[in-house]
Amino acid sequence: MFNKAELYQMIDWAVAAAGQHPILVLASSSAEGLTRFANSEIHQNVFEDVTDLRITVMGKQKKSQVTTNKITRQGIERAVADAIENLMLLPEGEEVPALVSQPASIEMERFNQALADEFSAEQRALRLGEQLDRIQLPYQAYGQLSYGENALALGNSCGIRRYFRSNSANCSVLISHENGASGYAGAVAARGGELELAAAFRRADQKAQANQAPIDLDVGAYTVILEPNAVFDLLMYTTLLGFSGKSLQQKSSFLTDRLGEKIFDQKLSIKDDWENENALGIPFDFEGSLRQKLNLIEQGVAKEVAYDLASGAKAGVASTGHSVGMDLFGAIPINIVVTPGEKTLQQIIAETEQGLLVTRFHYMNPVNPRQALLTGLTRDGFFKIENGVVTAAVNNMRMTESMLKAFNQIEAISSDCERFSAFVGNFYVPAMKIKQFHFTGKTGMKQ
Amino acid sequence: MKEKILEVLAFLKEKQVDYADLRVNEILQENIQTENLKVQSLSTTTSYGYGIRVFLDGSMGFAASQDFSQMEATALQALAIAKASRLVQKTPIKLAVKPIVVDHYETPIEIDPFTVAKQVKLELLFTAEKAMRQAAPAIFRTHGALGFRKEYKIFADTEGSYISQTLVESGGGIDAVAVAQGEMQTRSFPNSARGNYATAGYEFVRDLQLVENSARVAKEAMALLTAEECPSGYFDLVIDPSQLTLQIHESVGHPLELDRILGYEAGYAGTSFISTDMLGKFHYGSPLINIVGDATCPCGLGTFGYDDDGIAAQRIPLITKGVVENVLTSRDTAAVAQLLPNGTARADGWARIPIVRMTNISLLPGDFELDELIGGVQYGFYLDINQSWSIDDRRTNFQFATEIAYEIKDGKLTGKIFKNPLYTGITPEFWNSCDGVAKAKYWKLFGTPNCGKGEPGQVAHVGHGSAPARFRKVKVGVADVQ
Repeated sequence: MFNKAELYQMIDWAVAAAGQHPILVLASSSAEGLTRFANSEIHQNVFEDVTDLRITVMGKQKKSQVTTNKITRQGIERAVADAIENLMLLPEGEEVPALVSQPASIEMERFNQALADEFSAEQRALRLGEQLDRIQLPYQAYGQLSYGENALALGNSCGIRRYFRSNSANCSVLISHENGASGYAGAVAARGGELELAAAFRRADQKAQANQAPIDLDVGAYTVILEPNAVFDLLMYTTLLGFSGKSLQQKSSFLTDRLGEKIFDQKLSIKDDWENENALGIPFDFEGSLRQKLNLIEQGVAKEVAYDLASGAKAGVASTGHSVGMDLFGAIPINIVVTPGEKTLQQIIAETEQGLLVTRFHYMNPVNPRQALLTGLTRDGFFKIENGVVTAAVNNMRMTESMLKAFNQIEAISSDCERFSAFVGNFYVPAMKIKQFHFTGKTGMKQ
Repeated sequence: MKEKILEVLAFLKEKQVDYADLRVNEILQENIQTENLKVQSLSTTTSYGYGIRVFLDGSMGFAASQDFSQMEATALQALAIAKASRLVQKTPIKLAVKPIVVDHYETPIEIDPFTVAKQVKLELLFTAEKAMRQAAPAIFRTHGALGFRKEYKIFADTEGSYISQTLVESGGGIDAVAVAQGEMQTRSFPNSARGNYATAGYEFVRDLQLVENSARVAKEAMALLTAEECPSGYFDLVIDPSQLTLQIHESVGHPLELDRILGYEAGYAGTSFISTDMLGKFHYGSPLINIVGDATCPCGLGTFGYDDDGIAAQRIPLITKGVVENVLTSRDTAAVAQLLPNGTARADGWARIPIVRMTNISLLPGDFELDELIGGVQYGFYLDINQSWSIDDRRTNFQFATEIAYEIKDGKLTGKIFKNPLYTGITPEFWNSCDGVAKAKYWKLFGTPNCGKGEPGQVAHVGHGSAPARFRKVKVGVADVQ
């Protein structure tokens, strides 16, 4: 991995090589170690150290991008020359917004040394070994334990400097009986002592133990209690589909022409808050804009969406600092925080006469973005609740549901929240109890 | 470079490793996208580095770096990770035996896509976009994409193999988006998700016929806005290769990956409803279903000379006359299941380890004329181009949405179209409901450059060929679920 001075040096070389051409340079350096286990044995154990530069050279109405991991001065100068050569041959197109020029510098470290000291390859193996030894046949453990460090530096021809460094640890644990009954728990940590591996193994084990002799239920609408992981699955796709300015402009968002309207239950408030201690916490975006907090949903009303420079310019507003450097998406909120409710998950379960408890979903995908229609399957712990207690495991089922309906039928939101790592960024979400949630298929085979 | 690689492997041999391999990759990519007659993006990517995999006393370690001046240090890091694994390893990891190979392979191409001027590529996309807009002036958005990839690979191991490869990929596609009040409909060509990709040169893109299909694509997108919603119920379906591609991928390719079967992906991507004791016995589909994994198939996106275990590409019969016969294996998984490694271990670059990946998993053609397939349907639909996909963690319950459904009535296409078609089922029940596969002249090969699997995540480039096929009494839609 490279340090701040080294990354800035690379950016300086690129800016110098661009001459009079406006240029944006994003340098990313990361190192990650990941230990994977299956059948209660470590089967894959890897480390990677990757640094690359994404160089964007701009004209008034065009831009070209070159990404390279050849980060010697010569390699960087070659990449800039290629980007300029590509720019020259491009026809004029969309107006390219001016580069960010203020503030001159934003630097932040969310690096926790205690966490770094906890997760060497040897420590990962030993800590896993201790947990794996506790799993008794016919149960076995599967999953991963990983630790990563990331540094992000950004500069442009206006002379701005941005730097962020962080580290995190992550585990996912699935315990499965030889008959296929499984339970899952995961954890994400940003500070030393925060990742409770034993607790994750315990939770997954308890779920697997409870997930025996599943009953079959008919397709139809049920009251569900979605644990935080299941809520995260739904919200991750809802966020990708709906909360970006570009998706409004492309009319693909379920919020198209509905900003300002009440679209969800008033119990639901969703913020994008990079300052929340559970967020990823990068104070700037991939264009160098200062990251703002967003009030996405306030008591069910769609209030704000995320903009990068281009989508903001089209909408006549400033960037909200949510570029993720992917033209496809434009801008995405990456620090989702849902306002918690007042009752714990256990209280919500205890007050439920009839319902289904969902641990998490598998292979979720949008079916119809405009309707926020998602499909996915329950996985690793799906249970029936009667008179406040779990009475049976249930065979996994497929849900196909519009989030415009689901998030309008919220009966309760839990006070306890959990943190999850998304494609980019973190989500901090509670559990939810939702009425009339549609299960449209069963997973069993007729043999 | 060769000298340095051999030096590092010799260094590891001195450290008494069971086995080590070293892979060097340089990947060049070029992606061009246009939208509404403007360049949306022109980007090129270069990634160059190496990964060293070590097995020590049956324990595995891997380290990857882009710093070629630190190869010994990286090798020692891989060794240290293997030693860390060894601290808690109970069952030693074994590797199945393979031949020693010294060879070079190159994707056969006519035109190196990186030698074709970017202006030519842009002109192709703009011409297609103009044709779409001319045919449907009210179209909301038109889009075109081209992508090219060239990968130089070296594989070397402590057993004596040394293999170099140059793999070239080309592809692209177009799509049109129509929008009305509360409604958005898309039509794509030749497939969704940016089109079709192959191991081929620019000639593949030249022959895609993007411009020739532009008008139809745009008109159909507009027509879908006013089309009826596809009905729910049980219907006979004839499914186009553009959708069967993903059906095969999700419900045949993935469940037949041995690492999934052994639980290696259980914590993430999932497992499989198939077990090795089903081989030669289990009726995966009807007797008309013959599926192969063919890494030698010309132009297949999953075609190569050697996999990242150093094993030659091969054609594997996976399902023969409906019965599952083989699974996809790597050296480490084959050793566990006492099977042969069959050349399907691939990494998505220098920084990741090889894992079992699909090659070109294809449904072999049958004996039917397309008219015969359609002619055998009283009432049903012809489904074209995937729009959405999902399947459970054991690969049984799937649900796919397609861009369009063409009505079939009394054995004929009526010309009527339906929007938002969706079909769902259980893998073996679905494949057993197949009672007709079209002839070889209808067979098409599609490339899927975005198959995700593994931790850290890896993206594989795979291929799937098929001809249109007919399936009986398939559940369509979910609107009837109360």
